[in-house]
Order: sequence, then structure tokens, then C-alpha cells
Amino acid sequence: MIDPEAEMVVDCDWHYQDSFKEIAEYMPEPWSTKYKRSNWDDAGIKQNLSTFFPTSTGDRQNYGKVLREHSNYPEEPEDPERVGEGMDFLDIDVSLQISHLVLNMAGINADDERARAFVEGHVDYMADQVLDPDEGIYGLVPLPYDDPEASLEILERVEDDEEWVGACFITAGASPPLGNRKYDPLYERCEDMDFPVVYHTGGSGLDEYVRAGYQEMIETHTLGFLESNMSQIVSVACQGVPEKYPDLDIVFMESGVTYLPGLVSRLDEEYLKRPEEAPLLDTRPGEYITDFYFGTQPLEVSARNDLLELCFDMIGTDRLLYASDYPHWDFDSPSIINDLPMLDDDDRRAILGGNAIEVFDL
Amino acid sequence: MSADSGNLVEVGPESEFEDGDAAIVEVGRAEVGVIRADGEFYAIRNQCPHDGGPVCKGNVHKELVGEFEGTGERVTQEYSDTDIISCPWHGWSFELETGIHIGDDRIRVPTYDVVVEGGTVYVDKGD
Repeated sequence: MIDPEAEMVVDCDWHYQDSFKEIAEYMPEPWSTKYKRSNWDDAGIKQNLSTFFPTSTGDRQNYGKVLREHSNYPEEPEDPERVGEGMDFLDIDVSLQISHLVLNMAGINADDERARAFVEGHVDYMADQVLDPDEGIYGLVPLPYDDPEASLEILERVEDDEEWVGACFITAGASPPLGNRKYDPLYERCEDMDFPVVYHTGGSGLDEYVRAGYQEMIETHTLGFLESNMSQIVSVACQGVPEKYPDLDIVFMESGVTYLPGLVSRLDEEYLKRPEEAPLLDTRPGEYITDFYFGTQPLEVSARNDLLELCFDMIGTDRLLYASDYPHWDFDSPSIINDLPMLDDDDRRAILGGNAIEVFDL
Repeated sequence: MSADSGNLVEVGPESEFEDGDAAIVEVGRAEVGVIRADGEFYAIRNQCPHDGGPVCKGNVHKELVGEFEGTGERVTQEYSDTDIISCPWHGWSFELETGIHIGDDRIRVPTYDVVVEGGTVYVDKGD
């Protein structure tokens, strides 16, 4: 075991609980005014008429069981000071912030510029109010990837700013899936900028992740998060993104690790029967996938030890990145990694901080 | 090498092979398929390493390959000059010349030399 207080710990997935009310001040017109004149509340998730009907199955605080402050969507705008307080609470030295609100962005089906306007506002707000490299607080810039031109402009906007260390693609809702050539210019640009691409699952359309009618969050949160990441991993690997952009660092967040051996095994089995359908690959897709980086949260610590050990061995301890998902209800503290019996202290240091420092050039 | 060296197993008259034809012969304890493609003869073990299927009874064709033409461009696909054979059970496909699986070069079906002498096709047992 190592002492996290004495070690460098990097949290690769912190959800800044941004609110539309604050972001709207930074959003370009006409969206800033349109937002302020709408009936959406501060959190932007709920609309007044529909607060009784949650936008996703169930209550994240498990109907009164999770009492920790800020474990649910905030009713009030977040206070930037709370990031530092949370980092102290978790003994984290560096955190990479992603937008909390952007998790639902891919649910937008309208042909408008809402996503672009939100991201522009978010980028300026975070740079102005929250991000602070001197305090170890960095950001992953969310890309409205459905609009590649806007995404390229946003990348250009943050290119020279040290507080942004990567790009975030929400995996839920991306259509066509993220291996499509439509997104090539974004990958090319990120590779040029030495910007890791962080694919993050999300709750967009969680209740109908493949089919409608689920009843409880235990079902949708398990299946929807996995499906969103799995669908994009398969697309990115089979369409040859790692061959097209070999220096691009690819990271997948927030689905734990135990789904990977199953997915890789199924995909490899398929590939050996149909390799000409993934013509850019030189070998099995699983070999590309295990070169990706994976955030560890929510780590399946209740799984059999030998299964977790197999997962870590298959992915490689040099490819795993500690992620808290703080302050969300199912966050992992660094002790989740530190307590794993099959790791040695060098592995613990690498997963908790060393790998992230290298990938994100911190 | 000559037809009476003891290492050769007779397959049949060269004139009876059209492109794409295959003949199965016993080589030691192994079944081997002798296949003609583009005028060349190849011989590979008639047992797929995947599930034991009769590889040599599958289709012979050219390998479909892809080329990344540039950012945002569709990957172009065309048939290469490489002759492959596909196991009829599940489609595992191998280069006829090397026996190597087209998707993973760590998987290989044993291949044999083919000798054509005096109008007759033979497989070299290799021992």
C-alpha cells in the first residue's frame, strides 16, 4: 500500500457541476438570451413542467440513501471553491474537469447551434472561473462533434492555453458512431495538438439506450453506460482510427474495466471470420483496444479478484487511469486502487497518477 | 527433386486442373488440398485451425484490402493480387502461398511445396 497523501494522485474524471445559469453569461447570442428567457431552471436539466418526471430513470441518490453533499445534480450553481475542497477530501493533487451538463448534449436532435453555443460558453466560463493549473485544476474541452467545423474552431481557441489538456467526446448519442470518417478532422487536429481524445460515456437517452421500457436505474445505469462506450470502442477500432492517427492517445472513461475482456474477445472472434471488413487493421482489433487508456471508475471491486486481475493484466497497468467521477453518486476514491491486492506499489503509483501525467503531459 | 525421390505424393495430371480447382490427397496422416489459382499450384493442410473445417473445399479469391486516402475520405477498397482461400465453415481466410491468416499473421495453416513434372502434379511431403 502507498500513502496517497505523500504521492501524486491525478483524477482523470472530475465532473464540474456547471449550471446553465452561469454558462449563459458566457454563451454567444442569441443563445444566451434564449436561455435566460426560457423556463429552464439553474441546473438546466429540468424544465418546470416536468420536474416530477425525471429525465432519466430513477433518483441518483437512491431515494434518500446517498446523503453526501453534491452527489446529485445541483439545485444551485456550483461554487468553484468546492473543487479544491473536494480534492482535499480525496487527497487528489490534479483533477481533470469535464462538464457535467455536456453529458446530455448528444441527446440534441435539433439542427441548431445549441451545443456549439454551450461549449463556447463553458470553455470561457471554466477558463475564467474554475481552471487553475497552479492548483492542479485542468480541463478537458468538450467537443460538439456533430459540428466538426465548430469543434475545430474550439480546438483552435484552446490550443495555446495550458489549462486545457485534452478533448472530450461524449459517447452516448453519437450518430454516426465515432469511428466514422466525419470525425477524422477532429482526430487529426487532436493528434497535431498532442491532445488526448477522452471518450466519456453519458446518460443521454439512458432510459431508451437501445429500447424503451426499462423501469429502474439499476438497469439503465448498468446497461446504458456500457453500451455507449462499447459501441464507440468497436467503431473507433474497426474503422481504423488508431491506424489513421497512430500518435493519437485514446482514453475511454466511466464504465469500469470488466466489460473489456468480453468485448475484446467477441470482437476478435468476429474479426478472424471477417477481417476484410476492418481493412485498415494490421491485426486483431483487441490489440488496438488494449493500447487505449481506460479510466478505472466505477471499478468493480465486488468482482472476483482473479477476474479483476485478468482485466488489469489484459489492459495493462500502464494503460489504466484513476478516475473519481466526483462528485457523482458512484464516485471512487483513490483507496479503491490502493486497496487492490494484486497490485504492487509501482502499479498503484502509475494508475493513481504516473500514467495520467504522461498521457496528458501534466 | 524427382518424381521417384520418395518424398512426392502424386496428385494427378496437370491438364485436369482449371484455376480454382482443388484436389485432396493424403500426405502422411494429413489431408492436403492442392489448389490451382492464376496458373500457380499451391498445397495447404485441409484443416482449419479454427474449428477443423475443410479449408481446401472453400472458395479461392483475391484478398480485399483497404487504403486510407486521407482525413475525411472514405477508405478505398479493392481486390489485391494476393490469392486467398476461405474455409467454407466460418470464413477464416488464408494466403494460399504462405498459409497465413489474412487477419492475424500468428495463425497459419501448414503449406507444402508442389512439384509439376512430366505433366503430373505432386505434393512434396517435406521430410
